[in-house]
Amino acid sequence: MNWWDDVMHRAVAEVVLVGALTGLIGVHVVVRRLSFFTMALTHATFPGVVAASIIGVNLLLGGVVTGTVVALGVAALTRRRGQDAAAATGVLVSGGFALGAALVATQSGFSRDLSSFLVGSILTVSAPDLVVTAVVLAVVALVLVLCSRPLLYAGFDPAGARASGVRAGGWDVVLLLTIVLVVVTVVPAVGTILALSMIVAPAAAARLWTDRLPVATLLAVTFAIASGLVGLYVSGRWNIAAGASVSLAATAVLVASWGLRRPRRIACGTRVRAVPA
Amino acid sequence: MIEPFAVPFMGRALTEIALLALICGPVSVFVFVRRLSFVSDALTHTVFPGVVVGFVAGGMDGLATGALVAGLLTAVVLTVLTRSARLTDDAATAVVLTAMFSIGVVLVSRRTSYTSDLTAFLFGRLLTVTPRQITETVALAVVILIALAIGARALIFRAFDQAGAAAAGLRIGRLDLWLNILLALVVVAAVRAVGTILVVALLIVPAAAARMVTDRLVPMAVIGTGLVLAGGYLGLLLSWTASLHYGIALTSASAVVLMLVLAYLLLLPVRLWRDRRRVPPIALQRKSPHELVG
Amino acid sequence: MTTAALRLDGVSVGYSGTPVVTGVDLELRPGQRLALVGPNGAGKSTLIKSVLGLAEILDGSATVLGHTPARARALTGYVPQTGNLDPDFPVSVRQVVMMGRYRQLGWWRPARAADRAAVREALDRVGLADRADVRFGLLSGGQRQRVLLARAIAAQPKLLLLDEPFNGVDAVSQEAIVRVLRELSAGGTALVLSTHDLAVARDLADLVCLINGRQWAVGTPAETLTAKPLRQTYGRSAIDLADGRMVLVEP
Repeated sequence: MNWWDDVMHRAVAEVVLVGALTGLIGVHVVVRRLSFFTMALTHATFPGVVAASIIGVNLLLGGVVTGTVVALGVAALTRRRGQDAAAATGVLVSGGFALGAALVATQSGFSRDLSSFLVGSILTVSAPDLVVTAVVLAVVALVLVLCSRPLLYAGFDPAGARASGVRAGGWDVVLLLTIVLVVVTVVPAVGTILALSMIVAPAAAARLWTDRLPVATLLAVTFAIASGLVGLYVSGRWNIAAGASVSLAATAVLVASWGLRRPRRIACGTRVRAVPA
Repeated sequence: MIEPFAVPFMGRALTEIALLALICGPVSVFVFVRRLSFVSDALTHTVFPGVVVGFVAGGMDGLATGALVAGLLTAVVLTVLTRSARLTDDAATAVVLTAMFSIGVVLVSRRTSYTSDLTAFLFGRLLTVTPRQITETVALAVVILIALAIGARALIFRAFDQAGAAAAGLRIGRLDLWLNILLALVVVAAVRAVGTILVVALLIVPAAAARMVTDRLVPMAVIGTGLVLAGGYLGLLLSWTASLHYGIALTSASAVVLMLVLAYLLLLPVRLWRDRRRVPPIALQRKSPHELVG
Repeated sequence: MTTAALRLDGVSVGYSGTPVVTGVDLELRPGQRLALVGPNGAGKSTLIKSVLGLAEILDGSATVLGHTPARARALTGYVPQTGNLDPDFPVSVRQVVMMGRYRQLGWWRPARAADRAAVREALDRVGLADRADVRFGLLSGGQRQRVLLARAIAAQPKLLLLDEPFNGVDAVSQEAIVRVLRELSAGGTALVLSTHDLAVARDLADLVCLINGRQWAVGTPAETLTAKPLRQTYGRSAIDLADGRMVLVEP
């Protein structure tokens, strides 16, 4: 019997791959404050995935196409204004989900699909799913490594980046599209809530330990994989939903980091204090 | 176009939406100016464990209490976390959202009927709203609107100019807590009847759509309420027609959300057209170099 | 003897226990104008925040109009930097100025004729009475600064603190602001303004305080805006010219 035939083995492999993927992108999401955008993407790509399954094309393709449209729309909006951007992202969350649910309603098997959308079904991952995740991981890692400099520059100081010839708007879109790719790959396996949790919590924990982005990335990947494995073990041991236990493990890592690190002044990525200097 | 609403359960559903319209028109204005879309979204998810625990402990009566406790707890935790400089506030919100929701999932996943529980939580049971629930919503509406009216002036000042408001002696932390608790109350009032997905839409879309046509706060609230009324009526009619004549099980909550989002999209060109007529003299500066969204 | 509008004795201020400015000693009488001068990041804003009770006083004592900073807030006014405000916020100019009356109005009492008159008069003084119903964000940077000044005036403060009031401000607005500030101090209001513009400080201030991490000098413009204290404050950004004059280069 092949090692990959075991459900648990496939789940472990998927969790490791997903952990690496979410840890990599998570640092960018946390530093650039894109958590809500990520949440919106998980919901807004939902109708695309449903539509793809109705038409009978590849689900990943459906998700990527919708996600790209959404990301471009958000990028266009955020260049303009703050309040509207937050609200528009919120509109995406509710509108995307309602549209997806409406599309699902035209089919049968209604409630099961919806709840697996939320909490995922990591125990039904197939070997082809694993291959797709691995390929996406390679692509995302390549993009983030090759483009790390302009991404950092455009994110930290858009005006300065433009002045020195880096096209800030263009690099923002590159980052948003990379997040789209991650979200679309991860959500079917682990669900929307867990996807958000694994992207944000390990990276936020890593940021508490270091200000240096390469180190933070390494830590985030480690935290994400570790919480994935622990969560999976807990899930099997006590028979609770895998998505939820992994998400709680990731939260526990953040809480522990919070407790272990003394407060200090963080140079980069912090919000302005209640009373800005 | 009136006769579907002569059916008692449709009439009650419309009444419930109308009450929520009264609350959410003004409340969504504050969500908009304080950019609390994500916090609203988080609150709708974090009441889930409270709903589960409340239901297990006390049946249908315990449900509202559980939701209330979880909602208030989230409001406090979010206020404390977002005022601390150690996590960015969007990350803190995301973590609270996922952690609380996961606790809820853990609690229900040990029961057998778990997927139908989740579905009910997402979409609510708008068509089975009872007269008693309507009475409860009226009571909460009164509380929420009074609390909002008392705090409105200070909340607007704080939203516009945090440093100036603090210098004028306003307690920023308490004001933030006040608004978060109000949001939690709205969620608790609405979530059981209309489900999370519609609550999020009700808290975010009305003011965002109204902002397309007006620059002023009070008209924003009034137009927002009008949009919810119109969206509620059309959405209920749509889901009624879809299920009666076409056999599509479109939940009424999704239909109402889609109508609201449609209104937002239809008004979007108005905003662009208005902006084109008067270009602001100074380019918008980002609040923070890192902030891309929200 | 009248109470000092502001008195700082060996004051150190900062956030979360970390000092930003140390060793500040000064006394400002009613009607006097104080300029806080120093390079970017010198701690001017933090010092202003501490007078408002919004930044920690880590050492020394601060007395504002005879009270502790936090308790004197009803008597102080504050004009923040406009760059921190959202130009898209749906409020009219009139609403912004009315915020200055909120302290008198309390939480929910409706505005009375006296409040509306105070708002009108404040807008009139900064020369923007005709823009009252325009959305705040549609004004130019200088006009926004004047609106915030009007908001502070509407509260009739005894001590007014302004954070870089001339940053990104056009000449017309700068002139209007300077005129209003002179009128205010003639009426007995004490003023504290931060600036990195030495010409403004020389023109407008009775008292100049040079700071950069610590207080380097305090005194009249003639005493303080001279080569030695400026060189101490600005370090290597101060470059001597051959003719004995000096230029300051902001890095």
